[in-house]
Amino acid sequence: MKTMKPLLRTLFIPTMLFLGACACCEETVVAPPPPPPPPAIVLPGLGDVFYDFDRSELRADAVAQLRTNANWIQANGTSNVIIEGHCDERGTSEYNLALGERRANSAKDYVVNLGVSPARLKTVSFGEEKPFADGHNEEAWAQNRRAHFVVE
Amino acid sequence: MFQLFNRVVPSIFFAFFCLVILPLNLSAAETGEYIAIRKEGSGNIALVLDKLDANGTKESRFAQSLDTIMYDGLDFTKLFALISPPLNVRDYSDKKNVVINFGALTSVGAEVYAGGSLTRKSGMINLDMKVYDASGSKLLLSKTYTGREEGLRSIGHAFCADLVELLTGKKSVFGSKIVFVSNKNGFKEVYECDFDGYGVQQLTNAKSIAMNPAISPDGRSLAYISFAPGRPTLYIRDLAGGTIASVGKSGVSIDPGWRNNSEVAATLSLDGNQAIYLVKTDGSLSKRVTNNKSIDISPAFSPDGTRMAFVSSRNGLPQIFIQDIQSGLVKRLTFSGRYNTQPSWSPLGDKIAYTTWEKNGEINIFVINTDGSGLLQLTQNNGENKSPSWSPDGEMIVYTSNRQGKEKMYVMSSKGGNERLLLQGDDLQTQPSWSLFR
Repeated sequence: MKTMKPLLRTLFIPTMLFLGACACCEETVVAPPPPPPPPAIVLPGLGDVFYDFDRSELRADAVAQLRTNANWIQANGTSNVIIEGHCDERGTSEYNLALGERRANSAKDYVVNLGVSPARLKTVSFGEEKPFADGHNEEAWAQNRRAHFVVE
Repeated sequence: MFQLFNRVVPSIFFAFFCLVILPLNLSAAETGEYIAIRKEGSGNIALVLDKLDANGTKESRFAQSLDTIMYDGLDFTKLFALISPPLNVRDYSDKKNVVINFGALTSVGAEVYAGGSLTRKSGMINLDMKVYDASGSKLLLSKTYTGREEGLRSIGHAFCADLVELLTGKKSVFGSKIVFVSNKNGFKEVYECDFDGYGVQQLTNAKSIAMNPAISPDGRSLAYISFAPGRPTLYIRDLAGGTIASVGKSGVSIDPGWRNNSEVAATLSLDGNQAIYLVKTDGSLSKRVTNNKSIDISPAFSPDGTRMAFVSSRNGLPQIFIQDIQSGLVKRLTFSGRYNTQPSWSPLGDKIAYTTWEKNGEINIFVINTDGSGLLQLTQNNGENKSPSWSPDGEMIVYTSNRQGKEKMYVMSSKGGNERLLLQGDDLQTQPSWSLFR
Protein backbone atom coordinates (compact mmCIF):
# COMPACT_ATOMS: atom_id res chain seq x y z
CA MET A 1 0.00 0.00 0.00
CA LYS A 2 2.84 2.31 0.92
CA THR A 3 4.46 1.83 -2.48
CA MET A 4 1.18 2.49 -4.26
CA LYS A 5 0.68 5.92 -2.85
CA PRO A 6 3.29 7.84 -4.93
CA LEU A 7 2.13 5.99 -8.03
CA LEU A 8 -1.47 6.94 -7.42
CA ARG A 9 -0.40 10.51 -6.87
CA THR A 10 1.58 10.67 -10.10
CA LEU A 11 -1.43 9.36 -12.00
CA PHE A 12 -3.84 11.59 -10.17
CA ILE A 13 -2.12 14.92 -10.97
CA PRO A 14 -1.97 14.62 -14.79
CA THR A 15 -5.52 13.29 -14.79
CA MET A 16 -6.81 16.27 -12.89
CA LEU A 17 -4.82 18.66 -15.06
CA PHE A 18 -6.30 17.03 -18.14
CA LEU A 19 -9.83 17.22 -16.77
CA GLY A 20 -9.21 20.80 -15.67
CA ALA A 21 -7.99 21.79 -19.11
CA CYS A 22 -11.05 20.19 -20.71
CA ALA A 23 -13.39 21.92 -18.33
CA CYS A 24 -11.68 25.19 -19.15
CA CYS A 25 -12.04 24.80 -22.92
CA GLU A 26 -15.62 23.64 -22.58
CA GLU A 27 -16.49 26.67 -20.49
CA THR A 28 -15.24 29.16 -23.08
CA VAL A 29 -17.04 27.31 -25.89
CA VAL A 30 -20.36 26.80 -24.14
CA ALA A 31 -20.62 30.14 -22.36
CA PRO A 32 -19.19 33.03 -24.38
CA PRO A 33 -19.36 36.39 -22.64
CA PRO A 34 -22.74 38.02 -23.29
CA PRO A 35 -22.64 40.84 -25.84
CA PRO A 36 -22.99 44.31 -24.34
CA PRO A 37 -26.54 45.62 -24.43
CA PRO A 38 -27.32 47.84 -27.42
CA PRO A 39 -27.87 51.53 -26.61
CA ALA A 40 -31.49 52.51 -26.07
CA ILE A 41 -31.51 55.09 -28.85
CA VAL A 42 -29.49 55.81 -31.94
CA LEU A 43 -29.23 59.58 -31.96
CA PRO A 44 -30.38 61.31 -35.14
CA GLY A 45 -27.58 63.27 -36.74
CA LEU A 46 -24.17 62.78 -35.15
CA GLY A 47 -23.94 60.50 -32.12
CA ASP A 48 -21.08 58.96 -30.16
CA VAL A 49 -20.00 55.34 -30.01
CA PHE A 50 -18.63 53.45 -27.02
CA TYR A 51 -15.84 50.96 -26.40
CA ASP A 52 -14.94 48.09 -24.11
CA PHE A 53 -12.13 48.40 -21.58
CA ASP A 54 -8.68 48.67 -23.22
CA ARG A 55 -10.21 48.00 -26.67
CA SER A 56 -10.32 50.14 -29.76
CA GLU A 57 -12.29 47.68 -31.91
CA LEU A 58 -15.88 48.70 -32.65
CA ARG A 59 -18.60 46.96 -30.65
CA ALA A 60 -21.66 45.52 -32.39
CA ASP A 61 -23.80 48.27 -30.85
CA ALA A 62 -21.71 50.98 -32.56
CA VAL A 63 -22.70 50.01 -36.09
CA ALA A 64 -26.19 51.57 -36.23
CA GLN A 65 -24.91 54.88 -34.84
CA LEU A 66 -21.98 55.01 -37.25
CA ARG A 67 -24.38 54.39 -40.19
CA THR A 68 -26.54 57.27 -38.99
CA ASN A 69 -23.43 59.45 -38.64
CA ALA A 70 -22.26 58.55 -42.15
CA ASN A 71 -25.68 59.43 -43.59
CA TRP A 72 -25.67 62.76 -41.75
CA ILE A 73 -22.17 63.66 -42.99
CA GLN A 74 -23.17 62.74 -46.58
CA ALA A 75 -26.35 64.83 -46.31
CA ASN A 76 -24.48 67.84 -44.85
CA GLY A 77 -21.84 68.23 -47.53
CA THR A 78 -20.39 71.49 -46.25
CA SER A 79 -19.61 70.35 -42.71
CA ASN A 80 -16.36 68.62 -41.84
CA VAL A 81 -16.30 66.43 -38.77
CA ILE A 82 -13.78 65.82 -36.00
CA ILE A 83 -13.80 62.43 -34.30
CA GLU A 84 -12.36 62.62 -30.77
CA GLY A 85 -11.11 59.46 -29.07
CA HIS A 86 -11.59 59.34 -25.28
CA CYS A 87 -10.62 56.92 -22.49
CA ASP A 88 -11.60 56.30 -18.91
CA GLU A 89 -9.32 57.51 -16.11
CA ARG A 90 -7.82 54.14 -15.30
CA GLY A 91 -4.33 53.10 -16.33
CA THR A 92 -1.68 55.65 -17.30
CA SER A 93 -2.27 58.80 -19.32
CA GLU A 94 0.34 58.26 -22.06
CA TYR A 95 -1.10 54.84 -22.92
CA ASN A 96 -4.62 56.25 -22.86
CA LEU A 97 -3.60 58.99 -25.29
CA ALA A 98 -2.50 56.27 -27.72
CA LEU A 99 -5.63 54.18 -27.09
CA GLY A 100 -7.87 57.22 -27.68
CA GLU A 101 -6.38 57.77 -31.12
CA ARG A 102 -7.02 54.15 -32.01
CA ARG A 103 -10.67 54.51 -30.99
CA ALA A 104 -11.07 57.63 -33.12
CA ASN A 105 -9.41 55.83 -36.05
CA SER A 106 -11.61 52.74 -35.80
CA ALA A 107 -14.73 54.93 -35.94
CA LYS A 108 -13.31 56.95 -38.83
CA ASP A 109 -12.35 53.85 -40.83
CA TYR A 110 -15.90 52.50 -40.53
CA VAL A 111 -17.48 55.76 -41.71
CA VAL A 112 -15.00 55.98 -44.60
CA ASN A 113 -15.90 52.43 -45.61
CA LEU A 114 -19.52 53.57 -45.81
CA GLY A 115 -18.49 56.09 -48.48
CA VAL A 116 -17.63 59.28 -46.58
CA SER A 117 -14.59 61.08 -47.99
CA PRO A 118 -11.65 60.83 -45.55
CA ALA A 119 -10.83 64.45 -46.42
CA ARG A 120 -13.94 65.51 -44.48
CA LEU A 121 -12.90 63.69 -41.29
CA LYS A 122 -10.24 64.58 -38.75
CA THR A 123 -9.29 62.52 -35.72
CA VAL A 124 -7.80 63.57 -32.41
CA SER A 125 -7.19 61.85 -29.09
CA PHE A 126 -7.82 63.37 -25.70
CA GLY A 127 -6.89 60.20 -23.83
CA GLU A 128 -8.19 60.50 -20.27
CA GLU A 129 -7.87 64.32 -20.25
CA LYS A 130 -11.51 65.29 -20.96
CA PRO A 131 -13.90 62.82 -19.32
CA PHE A 132 -17.65 63.16 -19.98
CA ALA A 133 -18.72 61.62 -16.66
CA ASP A 134 -16.99 62.49 -13.38
CA GLY A 135 -17.59 59.30 -11.37
CA HIS A 136 -14.99 56.72 -10.43
CA ASN A 137 -17.06 53.63 -11.25
CA GLU A 138 -17.85 51.41 -14.23
CA GLU A 139 -20.94 53.47 -15.08
CA ALA A 140 -18.82 56.60 -15.53
CA TRP A 141 -15.90 54.74 -17.14
CA ALA A 142 -18.23 53.16 -19.76
CA GLN A 143 -19.43 56.69 -20.66
CA ASN A 144 -15.86 57.94 -21.02
CA ARG A 145 -14.61 55.22 -23.40
CA ARG A 146 -15.97 56.79 -26.55
CA ALA A 147 -15.48 58.26 -29.99
CA HIS A 148 -17.12 61.69 -29.89
CA PHE A 149 -18.34 63.18 -33.19
CA VAL A 150 -18.28 66.98 -33.47
CA VAL A 151 -18.80 69.33 -36.42
CA GLU A 152 -15.59 71.25 -37.14
CA MET B 1 27.54 62.51 -45.50
CA PHE B 2 27.32 59.38 -43.40
CA GLN B 3 31.10 58.97 -43.41
CA LEU B 4 31.49 62.50 -42.15
CA PHE B 5 28.82 61.78 -39.57
CA ASN B 6 30.68 58.63 -38.51
CA ARG B 7 33.91 60.53 -38.07
CA VAL B 8 32.49 63.58 -36.33
CA VAL B 9 30.19 61.85 -33.88
CA PRO B 10 32.85 59.63 -32.23
CA SER B 11 35.17 62.62 -31.85
CA ILE B 12 32.37 64.62 -30.25
CA PHE B 13 31.69 61.71 -27.95
CA PHE B 14 35.38 61.46 -27.12
CA ALA B 15 35.55 65.17 -26.31
CA PHE B 16 32.43 64.79 -24.18
CA PHE B 17 33.94 61.71 -22.55
CA CYS B 18 37.09 63.68 -21.60
CA LEU B 19 35.02 66.53 -20.24
CA VAL B 20 32.85 64.33 -18.10
CA ILE B 21 35.13 61.50 -17.04
CA LEU B 22 38.45 63.25 -16.39
CA PRO B 23 37.23 65.67 -13.71
CA LEU B 24 35.44 62.75 -12.09
CA ASN B 25 38.68 60.78 -12.00
CA LEU B 26 40.46 63.72 -10.43
CA SER B 27 37.94 64.05 -7.66
CA ALA B 28 37.84 60.28 -7.23
CA ALA B 29 41.59 60.34 -6.65
CA GLU B 30 41.19 63.05 -4.04
CA THR B 31 38.29 61.36 -2.31
CA GLY B 32 39.45 57.79 -2.78
CA GLU B 33 41.11 57.72 0.60
CA TYR B 34 37.93 58.50 2.48
CA ILE B 35 35.69 56.27 0.36
CA ALA B 36 38.19 53.40 0.69
CA ILE B 37 38.02 53.41 4.48
CA ARG B 38 34.21 53.24 4.49
CA LYS B 39 32.81 49.74 4.16
CA GLU B 40 30.60 49.17 1.14
CA GLY B 41 26.93 49.58 2.09
CA SER B 42 27.75 50.56 5.66
CA GLY B 43 24.69 52.81 5.82
CA ASN B 44 24.35 56.53 6.29
CA ILE B 45 27.44 58.64 6.90
CA ALA B 46 27.46 59.88 10.51
CA LEU B 47 28.03 63.60 10.06
CA VAL B 48 28.36 66.50 12.47
CA LEU B 49 27.45 69.68 10.61
CA ASP B 50 28.59 72.42 12.95
CA LYS B 51 27.01 75.89 13.26
CA LEU B 52 28.90 78.53 11.29
CA ASP B 53 31.08 81.07 13.08
CA ALA B 54 30.21 84.69 12.28
CA ASN B 55 30.97 88.16 13.70
CA GLY B 56 28.31 90.89 13.46
CA THR B 57 24.51 90.96 13.52
CA LYS B 58 23.95 90.69 9.78
CA GLU B 59 26.64 88.06 9.46
CA SER B 60 25.06 85.98 12.23
CA ARG B 61 21.68 86.18 10.50
CA PHE B 62 23.14 85.01 7.19
CA ALA B 63 25.06 82.29 9.02
CA GLN B 64 21.87 81.00 10.64
CA SER B 65 20.11 80.92 7.27
CA LEU B 66 23.02 79.05 5.73
CA ASP B 67 23.06 76.58 8.65
CA THR B 68 19.43 75.75 7.86
CA ILE B 69 19.97 75.60 4.08
CA MET B 70 22.92 73.22 4.43
CA TYR B 71 21.23 71.06 7.09
CA ASP B 72 17.99 70.76 5.07
CA GLY B 73 19.92 70.10 1.88
CA LEU B 74 22.03 67.31 3.36
CA ASP B 75 19.00 65.89 5.19
CA PHE B 76 17.05 65.77 1.90
CA THR B 77 19.61 63.41 0.35
CA LYS B 78 19.09 60.85 3.17
CA LEU B 79 22.77 59.92 2.73
CA PHE B 80 23.67 61.15 6.20
CA ALA B 81 22.89 60.48 9.84
CA LEU B 82 23.06 64.09 11.04
CA ILE B 83 24.38 64.29 14.60
CA SER B 84 24.04 67.45 16.72
CA PRO B 85 27.46 69.00 17.32
CA PRO B 86 28.83 68.25 20.81
CA LEU B 87 29.12 71.43 22.96
CA ASN B 88 32.90 71.34 23.24
CA VAL B 89 33.60 70.45 19.61
CA ARG B 90 35.52 73.64 18.91
CA ASP B 91 38.31 74.85 21.16
CA TYR B 92 38.71 78.64 20.92
CA SER B 93 41.53 78.95 23.50
CA ASP B 94 44.03 79.67 20.73
CA LYS B 95 42.44 82.75 19.17
CA LYS B 96 44.35 82.52 15.90
CA ASN B 97 43.65 78.89 15.31
CA VAL B 98 40.40 77.14 16.23
CA VAL B 99 41.10 73.55 17.23
CA ILE B 100 38.63 70.73 16.56
CA ASN B 101 38.09 68.37 19.49
CA PHE B 102 38.14 65.05 17.64
CA GLY B 103 37.74 63.07 20.87
CA ALA B 104 34.35 64.73 21.40
CA LEU B 105 33.37 63.88 17.82
CA THR B 106 34.27 60.20 17.98
CA SER B 107 32.52 59.87 21.36
CA VAL B 108 29.19 60.85 19.71
CA GLY B 109 29.85 58.43 16.86
CA ALA B 110 30.67 60.99 14.18
CA GLU B 111 32.57 59.81 11.11
CA VAL B 112 32.83 63.19 9.45
CA TYR B 113 32.87 66.75 10.76
CA ALA B 114 31.96 69.80 8.64
CA GLY B 115 32.17 73.34 9.96
CA GLY B 116 33.29 76.78 9.01
CA SER B 117 32.74 80.50 9.14
CA LEU B 118 30.92 83.24 7.28
CA THR B 119 32.29 86.67 6.44
CA ARG B 120 30.86 89.52 4.37
CA LYS B 121 32.62 91.96 2.08
CA SER B 122 30.88 94.62 -0.10
CA GLY B 123 27.62 92.69 -0.40
CA MET B 124 29.31 89.35 -1.08
CA ILE B 125 29.18 86.37 1.23
CA ASN B 126 32.26 84.25 1.83
CA LEU B 127 31.66 80.80 3.26
CA ASP B 128 34.85 79.08 4.44
CA MET B 129 34.23 75.38 4.99
CA LYS B 130 36.45 72.64 6.34
CA VAL B 131 35.64 68.93 6.37
CA TYR B 132 37.52 66.44 8.56
CA ASP B 133 37.56 62.69 8.86
CA ALA B 134 36.68 62.49 12.55
CA SER B 135 38.46 59.23 13.36
CA GLY B 136 41.67 60.01 11.50
CA SER B 137 41.65 63.75 12.38
CA LYS B 138 42.44 64.31 8.70
CA LEU B 139 41.44 67.39 6.68
CA LEU B 140 39.41 66.18 3.67
CA LEU B 141 38.27 69.50 2.21
CA SER B 142 38.99 73.18 2.71
CA LYS B 143 37.20 75.50 0.33
CA THR B 144 35.74 79.01 0.15
CA TYR B 145 32.35 79.57 -1.47
CA THR B 146 31.49 83.09 -2.59
CA GLY B 147 28.20 84.55 -3.75
CA ARG B 148 25.69 87.34 -3.42
CA GLU B 149 23.65 87.77 -0.27
CA GLU B 150 20.44 86.86 -2.12
CA GLY B 151 22.05 83.66 -3.42
CA LEU B 152 22.54 81.93 -0.05
CA ARG B 153 20.88 78.72 -1.33
CA SER B 154 23.36 78.37 -4.20
CA ILE B 155 26.30 79.04 -1.86
CA GLY B 156 25.12 76.47 0.70
CA HIS B 157 24.20 73.90 -1.93
CA ALA B 158 27.58 74.30 -3.69
CA PHE B 159 29.19 73.12 -0.45
CA CYS B 160 26.61 70.31 -0.04
CA ALA B 161 27.34 69.15 -3.60
CA ASP B 162 31.10 69.06 -2.92
CA LEU B 163 30.58 67.23 0.37
CA VAL B 164 28.41 64.51 -1.19
CA GLU B 165 30.82 64.07 -4.10
CA LEU B 166 33.76 63.97 -1.70
CA LEU B 167 32.20 61.31 0.50
CA THR B 168 30.41 59.16 -2.10
CA GLY B 169 32.48 59.74 -5.23
CA LYS B 170 29.28 60.52 -7.13
CA LYS B 171 27.52 63.62 -8.43
CA SER B 172 24.73 64.83 -6.18
CA VAL B 173 21.19 66.15 -6.68
CA PHE B 174 22.14 69.72 -5.74
CA GLY B 175 21.47 72.12 -8.58
CA SER B 176 19.21 69.69 -10.46
CA LYS B 177 15.66 70.60 -11.47
CA ILE B 178 12.36 68.78 -11.74
CA VAL B 179 9.88 69.66 -14.49
CA PHE B 180 6.25 68.68 -14.04
CA VAL B 181 2.66 69.49 -14.98
CA SER B 182 0.38 71.43 -12.63
CA ASN B 183 -3.14 72.79 -13.00
CA LYS B 184 -2.38 75.68 -10.61
CA ASN B 185 -3.71 78.36 -13.00
CA GLY B 186 -6.74 76.28 -14.05
CA PHE B 187 -4.99 74.73 -17.04
CA LYS B 188 -2.37 72.01 -17.26
CA GLU B 189 0.91 73.90 -17.73
CA VAL B 190 4.59 72.92 -17.46
CA TYR B 191 6.42 74.08 -14.31
CA GLU B 192 9.87 73.53 -12.89
CA CYS B 193 11.24 73.49 -9.36
CA ASP B 194 14.54 72.73 -7.68
CA PHE B 195 15.32 69.12 -6.67
CA ASP B 196 13.78 69.78 -3.23
CA GLY B 197 10.58 71.43 -4.45
CA TYR B 198 11.87 74.96 -3.87
CA GLY B 199 11.48 77.83 -6.35
CA VAL B 200 8.50 76.78 -8.50
CA GLN B 201 8.43 78.53 -11.87
CA GLN B 202 5.83 78.36 -14.64
CA LEU B 203 7.36 77.48 -18.03
CA THR B 204 4.34 77.40 -20.37
CA ASN B 205 1.27 79.60 -20.55
CA ALA B 206 -0.79 78.11 -23.38
CA LYS B 207 -4.04 77.80 -21.36
CA SER B 208 -4.51 74.33 -22.80
CA ILE B 209 -3.40 70.83 -21.75
CA ALA B 210 0.35 70.19 -21.40
CA MET B 211 1.78 66.70 -20.80
CA ASN B 212 5.05 64.83 -20.21
CA PRO B 213 7.71 67.57 -19.99
CA ALA B 214 11.33 66.40 -20.23
CA ILE B 215 14.57 68.41 -20.09
CA SER B 216 17.54 67.49 -22.32
CA PRO B 217 20.62 66.10 -20.52
CA ASP B 218 22.44 69.46 -20.90
CA GLY B 219 19.44 71.35 -19.55
CA ARG B 220 19.12 73.55 -22.62
CA SER B 221 15.98 72.16 -24.27
CA LEU B 222 12.53 71.29 -22.99
CA ALA B 223 10.37 68.76 -24.85
CA TYR B 224 6.68 68.50 -23.98
CA ILE B 225 3.26 67.73 -25.42
CA SER B 226 0.66 70.47 -25.79
CA PHE B 227 -2.95 70.38 -26.98
CA ALA B 228 -2.72 74.09 -27.93
CA PRO B 229 -3.12 73.47 -31.69
CA GLY B 230 -6.19 71.28 -31.04
CA ARG B 231 -4.38 67.93 -31.02
CA PRO B 232 -1.54 66.64 -28.83
CA THR B 233 1.60 68.00 -30.45
CA LEU B 234 5.30 67.65 -29.57
CA TYR B 235 7.09 70.92 -28.86
CA ILE B 236 10.82 71.39 -28.37
CA ARG B 237 11.78 74.66 -26.72
CA ASP B 238 15.24 76.21 -26.47
CA LEU B 239 15.09 77.37 -22.86
CA ALA B 240 17.73 80.10 -23.26
CA GLY B 241 16.83 81.38 -26.72
CA GLY B 242 13.09 80.85 -26.42
CA THR B 243 12.61 79.40 -29.91
CA ILE B 244 9.97 76.67 -30.15
CA ALA B 245 9.81 73.90 -32.74
CA SER B 246 6.64 71.88 -33.24
CA VAL B 247 6.69 68.40 -34.72
CA GLY B 248 4.25 66.75 -37.16
CA LYS B 249 1.34 68.24 -39.02
CA SER B 250 -1.14 65.44 -38.34
CA GLY B 251 -1.88 62.70 -35.84
CA VAL B 252 -0.95 62.69 -32.17
CA SER B 253 2.41 63.05 -30.39
CA ILE B 254 2.98 61.19 -27.12
CA ASP B 255 5.53 61.21 -24.25
CA PRO B 256 8.98 62.46 -25.39
CA GLY B 257 12.24 61.04 -23.99
CA TRP B 258 15.71 62.47 -24.69
CA ARG B 259 18.38 60.25 -26.28
CA ASN B 260 21.11 62.89 -26.01
CA ASN B 261 21.34 66.70 -26.22
CA SER B 262 20.40 66.83 -29.90
CA GLU B 263 17.82 64.05 -30.29
CA VAL B 264 14.53 63.38 -28.55
CA ALA B 265 12.28 60.39 -29.24
CA ALA B 266 8.48 60.47 -29.13
CA THR B 267 5.50 58.60 -30.49
CA LEU B 268 4.07 60.20 -33.63
CA SER B 269 1.27 58.89 -35.82
CA LEU B 270 2.35 60.49 -39.08
CA ASP B 271 1.08 57.65 -41.30
CA GLY B 272 -1.80 56.69 -39.01
CA ASN B 273 0.27 54.09 -37.15
CA GLN B 274 1.67 55.02 -33.76
CA ALA B 275 5.44 54.59 -33.86
CA ILE B 276 8.46 56.00 -32.04
CA TYR B 277 10.60 58.44 -34.02
CA LEU B 278 13.84 60.27 -33.23
CA VAL B 279 13.48 64.02 -33.74
CA LYS B 280 16.17 66.71 -33.82
CA THR B 281 15.86 69.81 -31.64
CA ASP B 282 14.81 71.89 -34.68
CA GLY B 283 11.77 69.63 -35.03
CA SER B 284 12.97 67.70 -38.09
CA LEU B 285 12.65 63.91 -38.16
CA SER B 286 15.89 61.99 -37.88
CA LYS B 287 14.86 58.30 -37.77
CA ARG B 288 11.89 55.98 -37.32
CA VAL B 289 12.72 53.63 -34.44
CA THR B 290 9.74 51.24 -34.14
CA ASN B 291 7.57 49.73 -36.86
CA ASN B 292 4.77 47.66 -35.45
CA LYS B 293 0.98 47.79 -35.77
CA SER B 294 0.61 47.97 -31.99
CA ILE B 295 0.86 50.95 -29.63
CA ASP B 296 4.54 51.90 -29.07
CA ILE B 297 5.07 54.71 -26.56
CA SER B 298 7.23 56.21 -23.78
CA PRO B 299 10.85 55.97 -25.00
CA ALA B 300 13.49 56.02 -22.22
CA PHE B 301 17.14 55.74 -23.21
CA SER B 302 20.18 54.15 -21.62
CA PRO B 303 22.71 56.84 -20.60
CA ASP B 304 24.92 56.04 -23.63
CA GLY B 305 21.91 56.31 -25.97
CA THR B 306 22.44 52.89 -27.55
CA ARG B 307 19.33 51.23 -26.10
CA MET B 308 15.73 52.35 -25.65
CA ALA B 309 13.17 51.05 -23.19
CA PHE B 310 9.58 51.62 -24.33
CA VAL B 311 6.01 50.45 -23.82
CA SER B 312 4.33 48.29 -26.44
CA SER B 313 0.99 46.52 -26.73
CA ARG B 314 2.42 44.10 -29.35
CA ASN B 315 1.70 41.14 -27.03
CA GLY B 316 -1.74 42.41 -25.92
CA LEU B 317 -1.75 44.54 -22.80
CA PRO B 318 1.14 47.01 -22.44
CA GLN B 319 4.56 45.66 -21.41
CA ILE B 320 8.06 47.14 -21.38
CA PHE B 321 10.56 46.20 -24.07
CA ILE B 322 14.17 47.18 -24.78
CA GLN B 323 15.31 47.88 -28.32
CA ASP B 324 18.90 48.15 -29.49
CA ILE B 325 18.91 51.31 -31.64
CA GLN B 326 21.64 50.18 -34.06
CA SER B 327 20.50 46.62 -34.71
CA GLY B 328 16.79 47.12 -34.07
CA LEU B 329 16.70 43.96 -31.93
CA VAL B 330 13.86 44.00 -29.38
CA LYS B 331 13.71 42.10 -26.08
CA ARG B 332 10.76 42.00 -23.70
CA LEU B 333 11.80 43.23 -20.22
CA THR B 334 8.72 42.80 -18.00
CA PHE B 335 6.85 39.53 -17.48
CA SER B 336 5.38 40.15 -14.03
CA GLY B 337 2.22 42.28 -13.96
CA ARG B 338 -0.43 42.60 -16.66
CA TYR B 339 -0.15 46.35 -17.41
CA ASN B 340 3.36 47.81 -17.23
CA THR B 341 4.06 51.34 -18.47
CA GLN B 342 6.16 54.51 -17.85
CA PRO B 343 9.76 53.22 -17.99
CA SER B 344 12.58 55.44 -16.65
CA TRP B 345 16.21 54.37 -17.22
CA SER B 346 18.54 54.96 -14.24
CA PRO B 347 21.40 57.45 -14.80
CA LEU B 348 23.91 54.74 -13.84
CA GLY B 349 22.45 52.62 -16.64
CA ASP B 350 21.79 49.40 -14.74
CA LYS B 351 18.12 49.67 -13.77
CA ILE B 352 14.71 50.66 -15.10
CA ALA B 353 11.88 52.00 -12.95
CA TYR B 354 8.31 51.56 -14.21
CA THR B 355 4.70 51.31 -13.03
CA THR B 356 2.41 48.30 -12.78
CA TRP B 357 -1.37 48.67 -12.71
CA GLU B 358 -2.30 45.87 -10.35
CA LYS B 359 -5.43 43.75 -10.10
CA ASN B 360 -6.41 45.42 -6.81
CA GLY B 361 -6.61 48.77 -8.61
CA GLU B 362 -3.36 50.16 -7.20
CA ILE B 363 -0.65 51.47 -9.48
CA ASN B 364 2.79 50.77 -8.04
CA ILE B 365 6.38 51.57 -8.87
CA PHE B 366 8.89 48.79 -9.47
CA VAL B 367 12.59 48.72 -10.30
CA ILE B 368 14.15 45.98 -12.42
CA ASN B 369 17.68 45.34 -13.73
CA THR B 370 17.99 45.89 -17.48
CA ASP B 371 18.60 42.13 -17.91
CA GLY B 372 15.22 41.40 -16.29
CA SER B 373 16.60 40.24 -12.92
CA GLY B 374 16.27 41.80 -9.47
CA LEU B 375 12.63 42.92 -9.58
CA LEU B 376 11.92 45.20 -6.58
CA GLN B 377 8.59 46.76 -5.58
CA LEU B 378 9.03 50.29 -4.20
CA THR B 379 5.46 51.40 -3.38
CA GLN B 380 2.45 49.54 -1.98
CA ASN B 381 -0.86 50.07 -0.16
CA ASN B 382 -0.86 53.74 -1.20
CA GLY B 383 -3.26 54.15 -4.11
CA GLU B 384 -1.95 55.14 -7.53
CA ASN B 385 1.78 55.85 -7.80
CA LYS B 386 2.87 56.98 -11.24
CA SER B 387 5.51 58.54 -13.50
CA PRO B 388 8.77 57.51 -11.75
CA SER B 389 11.87 59.50 -12.73
CA TRP B 390 15.41 59.00 -11.35
CA SER B 391 17.46 61.70 -9.65
CA PRO B 392 20.73 62.47 -11.49
CA ASP B 393 22.75 60.60 -8.84
CA GLY B 394 20.48 57.53 -9.03
CA GLU B 395 19.79 57.69 -5.28
CA MET B 396 16.18 58.92 -5.46
CA ILE B 397 13.03 58.67 -7.54
CA VAL B 398 10.43 61.40 -7.99
CA TYR B 399 6.89 60.19 -8.75
CA THR B 400 3.27 61.14 -8.15
CA SER B 401 0.82 59.61 -5.72
CA ASN B 402 -2.85 60.15 -4.88
CA ARG B 403 -2.36 58.64 -1.38
CA GLN B 404 -3.64 61.83 0.27
CA GLY B 405 -6.39 62.55 -2.26
CA LYS B 406 -5.14 64.68 -5.14
CA GLU B 407 -2.24 63.52 -7.26
CA LYS B 408 0.98 65.13 -5.90
CA MET B 409 4.72 64.80 -6.35
CA TYR B 410 6.67 62.63 -3.91
CA VAL B 411 10.28 61.51 -3.64
CA MET B 412 11.69 58.27 -2.25
CA SER B 413 14.93 56.32 -2.13
CA SER B 414 15.53 54.37 -5.35
CA LYS B 415 15.96 51.32 -3.12
CA GLY B 416 12.54 51.98 -1.53
CA GLY B 417 11.62 53.85 1.65
CA ASN B 418 11.84 57.48 2.75
CA GLU B 419 8.68 58.36 0.79
CA ARG B 420 7.75 62.01 1.29
CA LEU B 421 5.70 64.77 -0.26
CA LEU B 422 7.84 67.11 -2.36
CA LEU B 423 5.58 70.09 -2.89
CA GLN B 424 2.67 71.45 -0.86
CA GLY B 425 -0.35 73.07 -2.52
CA ASP B 426 -3.92 72.51 -3.69
CA ASP B 427 -2.93 71.88 -7.29
CA LEU B 428 -2.82 68.60 -9.19
CA GLN B 429 0.80 67.68 -9.93
CA THR B 430 1.55 65.11 -12.62
CA GLN B 431 4.32 63.64 -14.77
CA PRO B 432 7.50 64.84 -13.03
CA SER B 433 10.82 64.44 -14.80
CA TRP B 434 14.15 64.94 -13.00
CA SER B 435 16.90 66.68 -14.99
CA LEU B 436 20.41 65.27 -15.30
CA PHE B 437 22.23 68.61 -15.32
CA ARG B 438 23.50 70.66 -12.42
